Amino acid sequence: MRGGVRGRGGPRMGRGGYKMKTFVPRLPFDIYLCEPAFQRAKPAPDETPLQQALLKRNTDLSPSPTEQTAVLNLVTKIATVLDTLIVTPGSFDACQIEEHRQVGSYKKGTMRTNHNVADVVVILKTLPTREAVEALGNQVTEELRQQEPADVLVMAMLPNDRGFEISNSEATVRVLVTTVHQNLRKLDPELHLDQKILQSHLAAIRHSRWFEENAHHSSIKVLIRLLRDLKNRFEGFEPLSPWMLDLLAHYAVMNNPSRQAMSVHQAYRRCLQLLAAGLFLPGSAGIADPCEGGNIRVHTAMTLEQQDQVCLTAQTLLRALSHGGYKQVIGLEGNASIATDMTVWEGIVVSPLEKAYEKPPERKEGEPGDELADDDDMDMADN
Amino acid sequence: MAANNYFGFTHGGTQYGAAAAAAAGAAAYQATPAAGYAAVGHTPAAAATYAAQRATTAYEAAAAYQPAAATSYAATASSAPTYDYSYTRVQTYDNAAKTAAFYPQPTSTSFSAAADPAFQAKSSTTYTAGYQNAAARPAGQASKTYNYPAAGAAQSYTYPNQAAAAATANKNYSGYDAALYNAATLYVQQQAHTAPKGAGTWKASRPGVGAAIGQKPKLKQPPKPQQLHYCDVCKISCAGPQTYREHLEGQKHKKKESAQKQTAGTTPNAPRGGNSLRCELCDVTCTGSDAYAAHIRGAKHQKVVKLHTKLGKPIPSTEPVVVPGKSTTTTAKTGAAATTAVTKTTEVTKVVATPKINFVGGTKLTTTTPTASAAAAGTAVKEEPKEAAAAAAAPAAATAAAPAVARDDTVAVAAAALGEKEVEPVGQEYIEEIKNEEGKVVSFNCKLCECRFNDPNAKEMHMKGRRHRLQYKKKVNPELIVEVKPSLRQRKLQEEKLRRQQMREEMWRRREESAMDDEERIYWEERRRYEEEMEYFEWCRRGAGRGMPPFGPMGPMGPRFGPIPPMLRRPDSADDRHVMAKHSEIYPKDEELNAIQKIVSNSEKALKMVSDDIAEADAPKKDDGTATESKDEDGKELPRTLKGVMRVGVLAKGLLLQGDADVQLVVLCAEKPTRTLLERVANLMPKHLATVTPDEKYALKLSVEQASLIITNQTEPQINVTVTLTSPLMRDGAADEPTASKDPPDVLDKQKCLEALAALRHAKWFQARASGVQSCVIVIRIMRELCQRVPTWTPLNTWALELLVERVVASAGFPLAPGDALRRVLEAIASGLLLPGTPGLIDPCEKEPVDTLSGLTAQEREDITASAQHALRLMAFRQVHKILGMDALPPPKFNRGKFNRKRRRDNSCSGENGDSEGGDGKKDKKEDESEAAKADAK
Repeated sequence: MRGGVRGRGGPRMGRGGYKMKTFVPRLPFDIYLCEPAFQRAKPAPDETPLQQALLKRNTDLSPSPTEQTAVLNLVTKIATVLDTLIVTPGSFDACQIEEHRQVGSYKKGTMRTNHNVADVVVILKTLPTREAVEALGNQVTEELRQQEPADVLVMAMLPNDRGFEISNSEATVRVLVTTVHQNLRKLDPELHLDQKILQSHLAAIRHSRWFEENAHHSSIKVLIRLLRDLKNRFEGFEPLSPWMLDLLAHYAVMNNPSRQAMSVHQAYRRCLQLLAAGLFLPGSAGIADPCEGGNIRVHTAMTLEQQDQVCLTAQTLLRALSHGGYKQVIGLEGNASIATDMTVWEGIVVSPLEKAYEKPPERKEGEPGDELADDDDMDMADN
Repeated sequence: MAANNYFGFTHGGTQYGAAAAAAAGAAAYQATPAAGYAAVGHTPAAAATYAAQRATTAYEAAAAYQPAAATSYAATASSAPTYDYSYTRVQTYDNAAKTAAFYPQPTSTSFSAAADPAFQAKSSTTYTAGYQNAAARPAGQASKTYNYPAAGAAQSYTYPNQAAAAATANKNYSGYDAALYNAATLYVQQQAHTAPKGAGTWKASRPGVGAAIGQKPKLKQPPKPQQLHYCDVCKISCAGPQTYREHLEGQKHKKKESAQKQTAGTTPNAPRGGNSLRCELCDVTCTGSDAYAAHIRGAKHQKVVKLHTKLGKPIPSTEPVVVPGKSTTTTAKTGAAATTAVTKTTEVTKVVATPKINFVGGTKLTTTTPTASAAAAGTAVKEEPKEAAAAAAAPAAATAAAPAVARDDTVAVAAAALGEKEVEPVGQEYIEEIKNEEGKVVSFNCKLCECRFNDPNAKEMHMKGRRHRLQYKKKVNPELIVEVKPSLRQRKLQEEKLRRQQMREEMWRRREESAMDDEERIYWEERRRYEEEMEYFEWCRRGAGRGMPPFGPMGPMGPRFGPIPPMLRRPDSADDRHVMAKHSEIYPKDEELNAIQKIVSNSEKALKMVSDDIAEADAPKKDDGTATESKDEDGKELPRTLKGVMRVGVLAKGLLLQGDADVQLVVLCAEKPTRTLLERVANLMPKHLATVTPDEKYALKLSVEQASLIITNQTEPQINVTVTLTSPLMRDGAADEPTASKDPPDVLDKQKCLEALAALRHAKWFQARASGVQSCVIVIRIMRELCQRVPTWTPLNTWALELLVERVVASAGFPLAPGDALRRVLEAIASGLLLPGTPGLIDPCEKEPVDTLSGLTAQEREDITASAQHALRLMAFRQVHKILGMDALPPPKFNRGKFNRKRRRDNSCSGENGDSEGGDGKKDKKEDESEAAKADAK
């Protein structure tokens, strides 16, 4: 009787009006979201030097017009070749192309200088075998050579069978191969490219679409470029994927009570603060992936150890930044050792942090393997 | 009797039938037999009984039926009867007595057919039901093309007349009649033992039938004597007569010859199923167009072509002859055929059906085994009526339907053959060329199918081949269309595949359903939480019970030791459990609390008495012995010097920790407290303390520089009560010039007094703000303990800590569990809240914006931040115990597993009594409680 009255799994259950609560990961402390609680007790410091430094760094990082043109040219040529292959399916029989799209930093406008790589995702109608990818690569290269025999083109297969890349002297286009959704289930790991990689390429398309719609603000783009540079310079940030950085930058710039884009230097500091406060730690709500269903938190793609590493690097850098080490953090001076060695800023000793993550004891079977599911249940596993 | 009757009747019928040429004369026995005969003739059941009664053979049954049917013509065609009778009678008169039995039938049926419309209708329905649909077309065809050239007698069957009858029925009849007619003639021939002649006539009719329906059979030319010794069977030439003879005697030739005989008319080597292509010339059947092409290219075929050209024999075009699988099954295993009935009927079908194909063996059949085949056909036909009786002329229907089927087949085959020719080779890039040392391609390796072959032709064929295409489809392009092969194994594989797919779908579906399971899981999770919650409330209650009894009436500064404000959530995460465990560890013990409470309340009482004393002492000076009370009532009097005593600090805030021995009281004075006043109070105190508690000894220490006196008890948990004198005037003093000027010379230390005032404000603020925030007090206690324990944190003073924790926890915007609250505090510090460049922490208890954290040096801030950052990560990685300085708690033992819970719920669901669940819950709660108590005891 009671069971019937109470219902099952319904939102209202139990005596005393106990509300059903599922495990909701919490967002970490973010001072920008609770500014009213922290009125300024002292005047805000002058942030102009930081701002100037960031803008300078951004200028340094942005690709020159020549570079942009070079990449654009190569991308356009390859796109033309791929289009031809799509409209005349009979001419090339190793595979059939469904469509191709530009993705990644080139598409998003967050390219960095000296990294003239544009990404193009090619969706195959056929199943993506390694042979097909190679044949496609050769075909595209062949046609490019026919168009402009003067160009020195190099075709190389990408590691992990992601696809192939075609580079000339100035630019590189990576052609990432994937297949249509319905084919994903038919894949045979022995013959075809890795399903995870294929899915990641499909996700890349969604990401660039999302980016176009949501993250077109230049502050975000500048911030992404700076963060990528940060990631490249500090080893501890290695696990952060470009997509995580995109989302983090978007979050830092846009997610504030006023919903107005924050200035780059604030957002830059905020990124470090968020990471330091454990935005990408287990138990944190992190950032939900807008391109995946089911509320997937982006940082769960990292292993627990990586999450620890990212967090501690951010924490050390934040302290260095706060004590006046902005030039080193931004990369105008010094090197990456500030994240790992003890440093002295204006008489204050900033010491690096130790790792907190420990390999779980053996009683938890198979836990280190599936990091994705792991941290979600961190709180639950003991219960 | 019945049999006799029948016999008698039939006999009579014979006579009658013989005498009467017209149907009208049948009136004599019209009454009874009409129905009977109708039944006999047309309903299978009745036919069976009839046959049984007469104990006739199948022959007889058939025969009995035949004339009946035959006479129906007579009935419709009035001109025919003469023929009919004469014909049948002439034929059968020679026969045994048995046959005579059915002679009357014609008459009877003719009568019934003519006279009884019911019968008519019945017969027509039976027929139409049988084969109207199936046979309509062929029957119609037959009615146009049928001729009965050989059976001369049969010509008296006047079809035009029949056509004059009802249209549909007519057509049906004609188809059926054709069969019947055949059967009849055959039967008659058989019976009459006119085998040679009859067979001759019949056999003439056979091909006729075939020809009428289908194409002209391609008849092989009889072998002409040649210079070249040519064997037509084997299609080879021999060098000389000697070899030719040897060949003819050879095993190979004999085999071929017999095989040819066997296959009698249809294509040999018809494939089991599916379609094939046949080379007419070489008599070779190929399974596919590629194989056929290979054959045509092949040496053997070329040789035969050459030979035939030489011989001047017609060379059939290289166009393949499509051989549909089913309809070409061998028709005549003639000898053996006679025995089986059902197969025979189908054989007839086949024969009729074959004309669709190039019908090679027509003549062969006749020449080789005329009698046998005639016999076979005869049996077949003889059985046919039986079948007909049973299944309403099913064979005829089948016969008629067969050509249609065959035609469809042919079309399908043609289409298939066409399709096959269009197959494009696929997956060339997966075929590796294997070269020998000289770089010559020696073989090919197909990576898809993992097979090797040496011939470039084979490579081509392989690429077109089904297996390869299937592999290609599977591994490269799922959209490639590969026609389905109906082979048994393939089909099995297909089924297997289908099944697997279904299973996969099932799995997907289940996965979707697992959303439901999740719901289930959440339900139980919630239930468990709920129970824990109850347990927790219980815990709180207990905590309150053993907590301090409420202090005396102390105004707004009432003690806040009591229970933590009711929790919304039971601490259920590991963090929560650790925090709560730590909290109960650092929470003061009962005896400590009691001791503190005792000394504090005693001090308060004593101070009250001192205040009274001083007021009394001061009063006479001014008012000359008037009672204090009256002056109070007047309200004109100055307030008493000691206005009141209040608890401040940890005591007031309820932040006492285990081992805390220092508590603060603040005495507010009406005027600026002076050293004199302090000494006066100190002198009065011992007396009053003794009156309050005669049996307790308290030590009293005066600390002028602290602006306070310290009361210390002598018993074991040593408690120091610091009583600070202060006055609000100390604060206002600076602003209020006249008051400041009146400052007595021995006024107490201003800074200390201000601190005491601030402490008072902090206590107020705390009660107003922090104590209402979920988990805040717990976290502050925990943090206080941390600050005491860890040197890095020591610089963080209590007030800054309280403020920080309150701000951070309150800013979450929703209630936090203790673990979450602690983590949030660590997060805030880790994100650099203490570091330079951040807003700082404004003190709500000061008029001017003051940063509470200003006391911290930059290095201290840095160190605390670093420590908090590490602590945060420890907490995130389940090592909160390291921060708290305790051992990791073992995971709680839930003695109710999923099953247990499920069972309990089931009980409650059973609805025996509504209380069962509640009862269970209570019991569990108690169990949990006792467990928790045990854990606490440890």
